[in-house]
Parts: sequence; structure tokens; C-alpha cells
Amino acid sequence: MSSSHIKIRTGNQMIAEGALHAGCQFFAGYPITPASGIYKSMIEQLPKRGGVAISAPDEISALAYCVGASARGAKAMTATSGPGWSLMIETVQYALMTELPVVIALVQRLGPSTGGATQGAQGDVLFTEFCTSGGYTLPVFAPSTPQECFEVMTTAMFWAEELRTPVIVLSDKEIGMTAEDVDFGSLKSYPANLRKQYSNGSPNDHPYKTYDFISAGEVPLFAPVGGKYKTTMTGSAHDKSGSLQKNSPETMEVLRHLQEKITMRAQEMALVKIDDEPNADTLLISFGITARTSHDAVRIARQQGKKIRFANVLSLFPIPEEKLIRAADGVKTVLVAEENFTGQYRSVIRHLFEGKKIAGINSFGTMITPNDILNSIPL
Amino acid sequence: MNAETPATYLKEPVAFPFCKGCGHNHYVNHLNDALVQLQIDPSNICIVSDIGCIGILDSLFRTPHTFHTTHGRSTAFATGIELADGILNDSKLKSIVVIGDGGATIGLLHIVNAALMNVDVTVLVANNMLYGMTGGQNSGFSPLEFVTPTTPDGNIVPPIDICAMVKSCGAEYVSRISATDKNLTHVIAAAINHPGFALVEIVELCTEFAVGKNKLDGKTIQRMTDREDHRFDVLNDRFSRTEFVELYKSKILAHQKPEKDDSISQKYFSTLRGKRQWVIAGTAGEKVQLASYLLMRSAIMCGLHATQKNDNPVTQGSGFSLSEVCLSSENIYYTGIDVPDVVIISSADGLKEVRANGTLSRCRSNSVIIAEETVPEFTAEGTIIRIPLRSLCTPQRATLSAVAAVLAVEKLLPVETITDSIRERVGDKISQYQNDIEKILPYFSALKENEQ
Repeated sequence: MSSSHIKIRTGNQMIAEGALHAGCQFFAGYPITPASGIYKSMIEQLPKRGGVAISAPDEISALAYCVGASARGAKAMTATSGPGWSLMIETVQYALMTELPVVIALVQRLGPSTGGATQGAQGDVLFTEFCTSGGYTLPVFAPSTPQECFEVMTTAMFWAEELRTPVIVLSDKEIGMTAEDVDFGSLKSYPANLRKQYSNGSPNDHPYKTYDFISAGEVPLFAPVGGKYKTTMTGSAHDKSGSLQKNSPETMEVLRHLQEKITMRAQEMALVKIDDEPNADTLLISFGITARTSHDAVRIARQQGKKIRFANVLSLFPIPEEKLIRAADGVKTVLVAEENFTGQYRSVIRHLFEGKKIAGINSFGTMITPNDILNSIPL
Repeated sequence: MNAETPATYLKEPVAFPFCKGCGHNHYVNHLNDALVQLQIDPSNICIVSDIGCIGILDSLFRTPHTFHTTHGRSTAFATGIELADGILNDSKLKSIVVIGDGGATIGLLHIVNAALMNVDVTVLVANNMLYGMTGGQNSGFSPLEFVTPTTPDGNIVPPIDICAMVKSCGAEYVSRISATDKNLTHVIAAAINHPGFALVEIVELCTEFAVGKNKLDGKTIQRMTDREDHRFDVLNDRFSRTEFVELYKSKILAHQKPEKDDSISQKYFSTLRGKRQWVIAGTAGEKVQLASYLLMRSAIMCGLHATQKNDNPVTQGSGFSLSEVCLSSENIYYTGIDVPDVVIISSADGLKEVRANGTLSRCRSNSVIIAEETVPEFTAEGTIIRIPLRSLCTPQRATLSAVAAVLAVEKLLPVETITDSIRERVGDKISQYQNDIEKILPYFSALKENEQ
């Protein structure tokens, strides 16, 4: 009975732990169930590490404070739920356009509108991904346990900094607000990084270009607002120097680059945990809270002699196409389990499984149970 | 650091894109003159511009940092920059918000909050009383009787007094001035130089949309602003408040206590194999969630896995309080309760909720339901044991004592796991709980007889 690493934590607390581990320096929050636990944890813990955790008067301000802090060079994040996310979408797009890293933890609750504050849901999958005017890929990671909240948060922070883009961690009420034993000794994490900084030459000899790149997939080197290199940041269409430009070839190249830098690294971002069964005839795909339930269902199904493989998708977007296609190798049926009406994730991955039977396991307002999944697995 | 003494911060040569006669021309020149007067290192200036004609001035400046933002949000972005600069960096940056009356209308709260916080941000509102870039529509700053394409019969809503508003929020440098006033350079310089939040409302005329439709000259503007008591003057100039970033450093960062290690070591053993599912329901404020937390903690102290989820009405402090706790010798994946093994109902509020959320209907023959004696009649599969918990133990202790008593009866976890945790919290008063448990235990004889 030696020294223990077991602590009681919620998923929300583990998102905060992950952010701190990744070196987050700035948090601005606005209360909303079921995400308030992240806000509270950051207020308690971030100042202990010399960071800034403050209250904002609304979600628009919360994210704008984060993006402003990011422009000054800080690693920043906020947390919200569907109604707050609605208000943040303007600023998410601004962060995307200005190439300022920020992570938003979105803890889903039952929608639409104010919906059910204390009811879990996975109804914001498409709402999260397809929120940008112009249709850009926002990286979205989805944890299913408190341990994965930690892992995914460090992953999200890494990619936000690496790609200079907003990244979303999509959790939900059941993960966020359920407390459980967490073994801190077994936590996985991504390495902590910082956006690559511009440092060449003297400011006068080599004028710094805020959005400079050679190939479209490249991420521009960062110089902070307030640093010695003059920066020109803007949410309007701009050339590589950040100057407002309409329809110039260089501006179009910058706009293409915003997507290209994500697409180029999509395979590296792919995070899918496979519970393999070599001769499987069914592939079960899930994520978030329903991935958790799927573990139980898969165990029971195998006891019943069913040949089932399970894929827990932790990187929902960019869609980990190759990993999913490979996971479906040899199976006849692909099942996608998610807690929403219409099978949102299924609708965007079904084209990967041509020639196979694709079915959804869905619920609304209540967690999918192991039995709901078991009943859908073919004999 | 840049040692040169700038004669201008603008591009050279610079061509202003604004209409002839537009107040924005004055605005930009006076802002540049103020910066020249203050001789601030351009790398320590960030011009945070908003949307609208005035927002394009960022492209006219050569040396300061520029940050062109979304409509109305410029002050919020500037607040974020300032917080990171003042707390995480060297606090040398001067953030200057360049915003129109339209941006100030849609982003009013950001300005209010920056004033309340007293962040070192200077907001220069270019108030031309309408939305010039989109066709001259009326804004929240349009005076009464003002004719615009969207108030063709004259505006009937009075304008925002932004100066009075930020003054009421504690802003210590506030000024309203005409764009043509020769003191404008001085006023802008004073605002930028002010340590803490400052706002200048610069009243302008939009030559494209305001002039012509309205009979406007200096006198009529004066009459309009007089009528609404929007005085042209330095309306506040004092220095008594500490900047937000200084307060944050002295009141918050300087008083952080080290993190406590709340790791839980295994001290006991459990005979539980598989999963045991509890639902504990009672009234808010009667320690239902604490009882559940201590149950979970006890299980973890025995090397088990455990989950706890709480539910309560949105009001938090009234009505029911309910917790679902799963204990298991194996990893817990699905955290829902399919068949409750133990249900504790310590009040009528709790009964109402376990009925409503389906807990009672999911009970099966092995379920044990401990219910406060005085709650209304109910039916459920399994064994129902009614105990006068509230009168035996007091409502405050009823739930926790009932949980401890069930542990004592079940013997799956040693009862000391929970009594030790209670002792840590209440000290000598643990004897009250021990007495409670003794009083509750006889009521379980029915259960034992059933098992035999």
C-alpha cells in the first residue's frame, strides 16, 4: 500500500489538468452547466502556476479575451456548452482567420436552445464542426473518459499551437460531471509545445510578414503582438503581410492555406483506439460517452460468440479516413453508436464504407445502454 | 527597443481612403500626432481596430502593431491582449481601440466590462451617429430627430451616452470632443497616457449620409448634444483606481496556496466482486451528495473502482438531490444504473425524483430500498425497508447514517471506510453517527430474514 496516484476527478477536472499539463497560461470563462467545472478548476489552479484565469461577462468576451491573449503569445483556452458555443462561433472563425491558437472545451448538453442543462447529449457533432462561414476544417477531439479528457486536452493544445488554429475538445455532461477514480500514474499525454516563433534577422533588415509561408500547407512563424516585430493581424481577407486585399491571387492562396495546413496534417492528427477482433464481421464505431458504453457491449457480445471489432474515435475531425477504412477491413456491417437523433457522425463517414451495411444506434435525452448496442449487433 | 524618435507612425506617403470632409481624417491625424507627442516605441503600441470605415485606419499605420477585429468585439480582444501583456509579460504595451458608434453599440458590454475592470485600454469612439459603411443606417448613437435611410421621419429613440455609461463603471479618463477641435491631439494623448481604462468619444459628421438629409452645422450639433446633455468636455480625469493587472498580481497571484495532494491510498479490502449500483435520493442541503461522495471514496480506499453522478433541480439549493454511485471490482465503462442494488430515499423530495427518473421501475427482486418512514406509499420490486431516518438521526444526518448502516449490514466494504471519512470531517461528533447506525441496524432484520 505504497504512495498512490489515485484521485477522484470528473472529466471536467481532467480537462483542466490536461490543459495545465500542456502549459496553458490563460483561461477566460463564463458559467454554463455542464462545463462550469472546467472554469472552476482553472480559476483554482491556473494562478498557482502563474497563469491568468478570469471571469468574462459573456461567452463572446470569454473567447475574445483568449484570442487577444493568444495574439500576445499566451497559450489560451475556454470552456462552454451548446448555448455558449452559439455565441462563440464568430470569434472561433476570427481565430481561424488570424491563425491564433486557442482550445475550446465544448461540454455538450441537450439541445436545442437552452435545452436541458443537466442532460447529456452528443447532438453538437456537426454544429461544432460545420460552424465556419467558408467551410473550413476545425480539428475536433472527443474524449470518452476522464483519462482521455487529459490525453485529448494535451493533444488539442499541441495541435492548436502546431497549426496555429482553434481546436475543439468535444465532451459531454456525462463525462464532464461524473466523478470517478483516476490513476494519475497511467495518464497519457502529448508533448507540450509552443507555436514556432519568428526570430530571424533584425526587424529593420527583414520585415516580418505576419502570415508568411512558402507552400500552402506551411504554418506561418509567429511573432506576438507587442513583440519587437511589427505584426498585422486581421480577420478580413488578407495577403501574407496581413494587408486587407480583395481577390488578389496571394489572398486566395492565404485562404486556401488555412485549409491546406489542416488537411496536410490530418493523418498525424488521426487518433482512433481499436479494440481488435481479427475475424470480425461487425465494426462498431463510437466516440465520447457512447464509446465508454460500447466497451461493455463489446465485452458481452464477445462472450456471446459475436465477432466484433470496436473503434473509439478520439479525433472526429479531420475525419480519420484511413484508420476508419482499415478498421472496417473484412467486416460486413458497420454500426455507429452516438447519442443524437439522426446519426450525425455516421452521416459524414458513411461514404468510407461502400458496399457494407451501415446502421446507426441512436438515442436522445438518455445515454445509450450496453443493451441498446447489443440488440443492434447482427447474429 | 527602438531608439529612434518617430516623426510619424503612419505610412509615408499615406493616402487616406475616407470621404472628403469626413471626421475620420481628423481622427487619424490627431491619433498619429498624439503618438508622436508621447513618443511611444511603436512595438509597444497595438491599434485594435473594429469594423466600419474607421476600422480600416489600421492599414494607414506603418510601425505600430495592428489587430483588425470583428464588429464590436475590438475592446474584448484588446482586454485579452492587455491581460496577457500586463500579467504574463512586461506590461509595456498600450492597446488603443479604434471603434465607431456602430461597433460601440453592438459591443457595448465589452466597453462596459473593460471600464469596470479598469484594464489599461484606450477606447477612441469615432461617433458619426450612423453606420456609414453600410448605407447610413441609424445607430444607438443617433440623436433624436436624426434623419437616416432607416429613420426617414427622424429618429425617435434617444442616443446612448457612452461617456456617462463608462463613467458610472469607474472609468477615470472620459472625454467627449468634436473631431474638428484643435485640442483633440492633447485629449487623445491624455487618454493613452492614462494608466487604466480611458474613453474618448470623438463626434464627427458623415459627409456621405448625415449631411444633406439633416441640416447640420456646428450649431445644430451643439443643440442636439445640449438637449441630450451630451456635453463636450473632459468629463473625468483622475487617478484613484489600481489597474486590473496590478490588482490581479497583488490580490490573486501573490496569495496562492500550494496544491493539496488529494490522492487516495488503499487502506482496506473489499469482498465485492463485480458491480454494485446505488441510488441515493433526498432533499437538497441534507448532504445527499456528500454521503454519495464518501461512499465512492470508501470504495476507492478498498481498491475498488467507483463513479458518482449527481442530479438536482436547476435551483441547486432547493428540491431534490440525487446521486448515482457505481462500485466495481472491474473497470467501470457504462456509468448508468441499469438495475439498482441499493436505493436510499431519505425524504419525500427524494421519493418523487426516484419515481420520476425511473429508478424505482428499474428495481428487481434483489434490490434493497431503504425509505424514510414518513414518505408516501410506493411500490417497487425488491425489499422495501421503512425506517424513521429523519427522526432517529435528524434530517441532516439521515442520508449519511443510512449509507453507513447499509455498509455495516452488507459487509462488502468495512464500515470503518465510511466512519473514518466522517470522523475526518466532523471529529468527535462521529459518535452521533455511530449512535445513528446503532439505531438504524435493527430495522434491517426483515432483510436478513428474507435472505435466510
